[in-house]
Amino acid sequence: MSPTPDPVPPDAPFGLDGRTAFVIGAGRPLGRAIANALAEAGADVAIAGLTDSSQEVVQVNSVANQIWSLNRRNIPIEIDARDPVSVEAAIQRIDDEWDHLDILVNAQDLVFAKPFHETSLEEWGATLAANLSSVALSCQAAGRLMMRDGFGRIINIVTVPAERGVSNMAAYAAAKGGAESLSRALSQEWAREGIAVNCIQIGFYEDQAGIGDDPAIAEQLAKMLPSKALVKSDDVTGLVVMLASDSGFITGQTIRLDGAATARV
Amino acid sequence: MTVLDNFRLDDRVVILTGAGRGLGRAMALSFADAGAHLVCAARSSNEIDETAALVVEKGRRAIAVPTDVADSDAVNRLIHATLEEFGKVDALINNAGGGTPGMGKTLPEIDDYEWRTGIDVNLSSQFFCARAVIPHMIEAGHGQIVNVASGFGLRGGRDNYMYVAAKAAVVNLTRSLAVTYGEQGIRVNCIAPGIFPHTSEAEERWRGGKYIPVGRVGRAWEMGPLAVFLASDAAAGINGETIAQDGGGLAGGIGPTGWEPMIPLADGIVS
Repeated sequence: MSPTPDPVPPDAPFGLDGRTAFVIGAGRPLGRAIANALAEAGADVAIAGLTDSSQEVVQVNSVANQIWSLNRRNIPIEIDARDPVSVEAAIQRIDDEWDHLDILVNAQDLVFAKPFHETSLEEWGATLAANLSSVALSCQAAGRLMMRDGFGRIINIVTVPAERGVSNMAAYAAAKGGAESLSRALSQEWAREGIAVNCIQIGFYEDQAGIGDDPAIAEQLAKMLPSKALVKSDDVTGLVVMLASDSGFITGQTIRLDGAATARV
Repeated sequence: MTVLDNFRLDDRVVILTGAGRGLGRAMALSFADAGAHLVCAARSSNEIDETAALVVEKGRRAIAVPTDVADSDAVNRLIHATLEEFGKVDALINNAGGGTPGMGKTLPEIDDYEWRTGIDVNLSSQFFCARAVIPHMIEAGHGQIVNVASGFGLRGGRDNYMYVAAKAAVVNLTRSLAVTYGEQGIRVNCIAPGIFPHTSEAEERWRGGKYIPVGRVGRAWEMGPLAVFLASDAAAGINGETIAQDGGGLAGGIGPTGWEPMIPLADGIVS
């Protein structure tokens, strides 16, 4: 195999001028913060949230306005990230309008917690579809375009149960761990295609449905952490921008953002 | 304020060890671009004088302090010189380290002096620097430490003992410092560089990156932004973490890149 040419050093680090991005999960505060940050860094950003949640549709439209006010292009898209036809159509639409897709961020997160011996096959399937298959589908559709163009930055966001066992979260943990393994495998398969694939593994976070947005659970969890605080959605944005703007030599990594929660015994 | 402002280090004071060449010099220039003032340390003064001059050319302040980081008295003098000149220290980049006498020898050939030197240069140095700056960071209520380990801190290497042991210890020293001092506003993280050859001989030895998944070796300028990021407010929330920048080496390495087998599903799985 012929060697890969060195990338050209950028004039200024971290900027994303001229790049296009697609953020899935932008109907929730985490995805919304990420979409906004990518636009602030200079990217045009397409955003997707769940079609069957009127609340998410409102959020996606609101973040579209934010991106618009930053003078960046945006495409608000309603998708069902579990449905290959819907995902393919969304990514095709981005390519039709913008001719390329440089950055993909999977920020969707469907928390499910139940004792495993009581978990139905349906619940298992739904948890994997929302947290794992959705990542696979978007990576596959976006990856094809990125291979065509020889450039891509894929950032998949997973959570701590991907790595640490948590009671009553077996299905969720399997899905998040699967998304992490998928990312690592794709980092190798696409290493010479100019596509870097990384994971951000975040601790329990403030806006996480059913966890961070439940004051009683959030308080109990925060007490146990070295940082005494849950991760904030805004804390994730810097790392996303760093990875999206990196030269591509960082790939196949899972970067923990959890206030040292997993650094401890 | 945008997210990009969080990556700025304007008027922060950064101590950078191993600042004379290679990754160290490249990081110094990235820190200067981000607005930081630099304290450049390394054993010999010629090269750090040059690095400091390059930082000053970018409009920042810089001093060069010749320091053997394996000597704790010298490290204490480095911190003292920093406080004398700038009155504070915002970040410490523990970058100094490398191959030491005895590296590559077989196990029975390595003498006690060689073992201890390898550990001192690559591990004790980072402990000495952290021990010297952390009290000042606690007093200030904030501080960032970035330790430089290596891919060899996460995997073993044939006939590689002092370096791999010391670098692995750096990864875990990072975690303990983070867990201990996080509540006091101090973040401690680590970079594990892959193959970044400083010379054409080294590049030849690594076949130009042919066996690295991305198909190339790393260039010194690629590491600067990662170090700046970790030392900046953009990395708030990241603590105790080690980030490898290695072209995918640590994520793979089981099969040769691009040559893994293709195996169809067993009969009956997909009709």
